[in-house]
Amino acid sequence: MAVIAALALFVGVVWNRTLLRDAWRGNPVSGGAGSVPTLEGVQPLPLGLMQAKEFFDRREATFVDARDSEAFSRGRIAGARSLPVAKLGPGLGRFRQTVPLSSLIVVYCTGFSCQDSRTVAEKLQRTGYATVYVYEGGFPEWQAAGYPVAKGGLDDRR
Amino acid sequence: MTAGNASRIGLRLLLGGLFLYAGVPKILDPVGFAGNVAAYRLLPYFYDYVVAAVFPWLEVTCGILLVIGLRVRAAAMLLLLLDLVFIGVISSAIVRGLDIDCGCFRPGGGSASPWMALGRDLLILCLAAVVFWQADDSGMRRHPARWPLLMFRS
Repeated sequence: MAVIAALALFVGVVWNRTLLRDAWRGNPVSGGAGSVPTLEGVQPLPLGLMQAKEFFDRREATFVDARDSEAFSRGRIAGARSLPVAKLGPGLGRFRQTVPLSSLIVVYCTGFSCQDSRTVAEKLQRTGYATVYVYEGGFPEWQAAGYPVAKGGLDDRR
Repeated sequence: MTAGNASRIGLRLLLGGLFLYAGVPKILDPVGFAGNVAAYRLLPYFYDYVVAAVFPWLEVTCGILLVIGLRVRAAAMLLLLLDLVFIGVISSAIVRGLDIDCGCFRPGGGSASPWMALGRDLLILCLAAVVFWQADDSGMRRHPARWPLLMFRS
């Protein structure tokens, strides 16, 4: 039994060595050995609540809300920028003008079943943003944790 | 082949096939599975990826062994222990009120609530226990065609 477990451990680590190396260094994660790559061969890094809050507290990241503008107005992570997946074309141009490519970006939407944040994150990567994370818990998790939120129609830069 | 033997082989293939079905998509999308693991908020950041890198290979290795009929008791016991880990983790998510996808079969998907996953894992636990108690690895040696496989035995 120990041999089987050791074999699986060895193969798993070797097969995913690039993924584990990138995760250890905190880099955006390259596709695993068998994963489907994006155009650049890099996928947005999933981010948990605690890491998202650390970025928020240290003001290291630009938070991007991938939900529609109505949901954005009802409530969002404080300081987030609106970039709805349905309006990516015009929105991305304005975003690019005000947020440098070297910025650390955290994209979120309505939680784990929502794929919009991943779509927007991949688009941002293709635009040239090197460090893009997907906060998969999204606004519901953030709000439930009692972390800072804002309401209204405008971006509230912190 | 007696009815008992057919049933034993059927359950073994079912358990093996189930874990192959669960493990292969995770191997193909380790990043998505790491996201599922991170959603449980139990491990430090890097270890979400270690789990995502290793657990699917454990599932697939045991699945293959069960399908080919090699080291059946050990593979079934490993899957039984793995399933107990899953049950513990999913139970903790329920207790903490996390409404997340369990990540059991399709990484990054939104297919199973924690309660549904818990019920499914309890059924799989029973199946693994039955396969473990029914297994008779000594039968391997009576099949000359399988002797080359014995080199993989510990």
